[in-house]
Amino acid sequence: MTSPTAATVESPLIPVHTTGWRGGLANLVRKELGQWWGTRMWWTQTLIWVLLLNGVTTVIMLQGAEMTTGELVTEAVQTFLQVGAFAIGIGVVLTIQGAVVGEKELGTAAWVMSKPVSRASFVLAKLIAYSVGFLATALLIPSIVFVVQAQLLLPVPLDYGLFALAVGIVALSVLFYVVLAIALGCLFKGRGPVAGLGIGLVLVGQFFKGMLPMPLVMATPWLLGDVATSFALSSPPDFNRMVPISVTATAAVALVCLAIWRFHREEF
Amino acid sequence: MQTKVVQNQSDPAAPAPGVKDAVIHTIGLTKTFGHVQALQGIDLTVPHNSIVGFLGPNGSGKTTAIKLLLGLSRPTAGKATLFGMDSIQDSLAIRSRVGYLAQDPRFYTHMTARETLEFTARFFYKGPAEAIRARIDETLELVGLEDKADRPTKGFSGGERQRLGIAQAQINYPDLLILDEPAAALDPVGRRDVLDVMERLRAYTTIFYSTHILDDVERVSDYVAILDHGRMVASSTTAALLDGDSATYELTIRGDEQTVLRALRAHPWVSNITTASQKGSTAMTISVTDEQAAESEILRSVLAADDVVVTAFGRKHFNLEDVFLQLVKEPRE
Repeated sequence: MTSPTAATVESPLIPVHTTGWRGGLANLVRKELGQWWGTRMWWTQTLIWVLLLNGVTTVIMLQGAEMTTGELVTEAVQTFLQVGAFAIGIGVVLTIQGAVVGEKELGTAAWVMSKPVSRASFVLAKLIAYSVGFLATALLIPSIVFVVQAQLLLPVPLDYGLFALAVGIVALSVLFYVVLAIALGCLFKGRGPVAGLGIGLVLVGQFFKGMLPMPLVMATPWLLGDVATSFALSSPPDFNRMVPISVTATAAVALVCLAIWRFHREEF
Repeated sequence: MQTKVVQNQSDPAAPAPGVKDAVIHTIGLTKTFGHVQALQGIDLTVPHNSIVGFLGPNGSGKTTAIKLLLGLSRPTAGKATLFGMDSIQDSLAIRSRVGYLAQDPRFYTHMTARETLEFTARFFYKGPAEAIRARIDETLELVGLEDKADRPTKGFSGGERQRLGIAQAQINYPDLLILDEPAAALDPVGRRDVLDVMERLRAYTTIFYSTHILDDVERVSDYVAILDHGRMVASSTTAALLDGDSATYELTIRGDEQTVLRALRAHPWVSNITTASQKGSTAMTISVTDEQAAESEILRSVLAADDVVVTAFGRKHFNLEDVFLQLVKEPRE
């Protein structure tokens, strides 16, 4: 058995020189993406969302005989986008609730942070990987399947440009909940508050937004499903669509900053 | 046994490690959790290429101190520098030169041992892939995990996790290895292997490790720092700590004990003598205030007596367990 040290061997290894907030980011993103795409996670998530979103819309499309053409298209698109915005939000929080908290509890976060890794990288790597994972498996793939379904089962073609725009708006909602779940994980020590607050926010929006004052509701991601539907069906709603979009985007950026700030203060 | 080691906390005879050359240097390092003072103004200097054993009872603050050094936690007061860099401001640069093994090492359970090492190595090296693979194979061999390299760490025992922890800690050829209880979960063979690895790495790196296993410290450590209730109660070379602060000699004779005692007590530098009889011999423990005089005169005085045979003579060495228990005033766990 040898005693290998850099001092005794001509090491061909090329050192990493990344410093500052990007320290360790590339390696962490690779690891987090590997957890999505190198395990069964990607196909189980894909299966769940295709079965849920495309299953429901298939049922609607097959019952088209009872509806007019316009009603059928409206119903199918509305269901896909609104159920998507709501259900993916819950799925995101349920899946991500342990992403940061679990690592803090288990000690892997402390282990990783003993390497040349910035705290920002740790948070950003999770945001990037979970965003990519959910956008691909819960939104992009079911959206492609929906387009195929629409071509096969709907009597009139969809405006695919507007549909893509609508999917983009639902993507903003998905991103918001990813950021929220990660930020809550940085703020709290247990999974309970992360899951409770995250899912609570989705449910309150889904079931109580009609009872709350409109200015308050517009300052949340709750209307993004409606906004997306209005774009896809070219039917402007009775509120300014840009308000929930810009408020959600701003809130997501603020939550990213909050998460990084809080994780900087974390003691292991 | 009464030792006076406590008074020898800063051994003036020991080669004082220069702060300039120190790998670790702390000044008044303090950490408070609510009302609990986990660390109370620790001053510690760890010289280059040394092995330093960091001792203390459970809850004495060893792990807290290690986490402060690594920037995993922030000091309430005081500061720590590693390689002359601030542990908070320059934490990233410090961590690129450090290898760390946690007390209870945990890894991503979906990864194999090889994947864990590759993940670790990628924080330090961007390639080439072949060289990284070779380095991983080398470290796997070093800790004896070659045959388990492709098993997910989920099924690893505590000892296997510990070995993997040691492997990942030194994958980057660190200038400083910080090991928190490196041998705690290992069987005697594994423990011996760890000590062997530490001894081999001594020439190239500085090793700062916490442990409860006092025999290990005596075997491999150049320096010992002892922590108790968050306070540094001793910090010295291992040899100086074991010698005590006043010279004490052991003399075993056969023959007339009283003659020897009279001869020894005639010297003004003999401060105390205790005797114990055993199988026809008498063992004497002689405390002196003048080492030079003692070393040249004790034997001469004793051998001057015709009817006395000296069967053993030498400076008394304390063992670390005695010293440790004396310092922390608690029974060893």
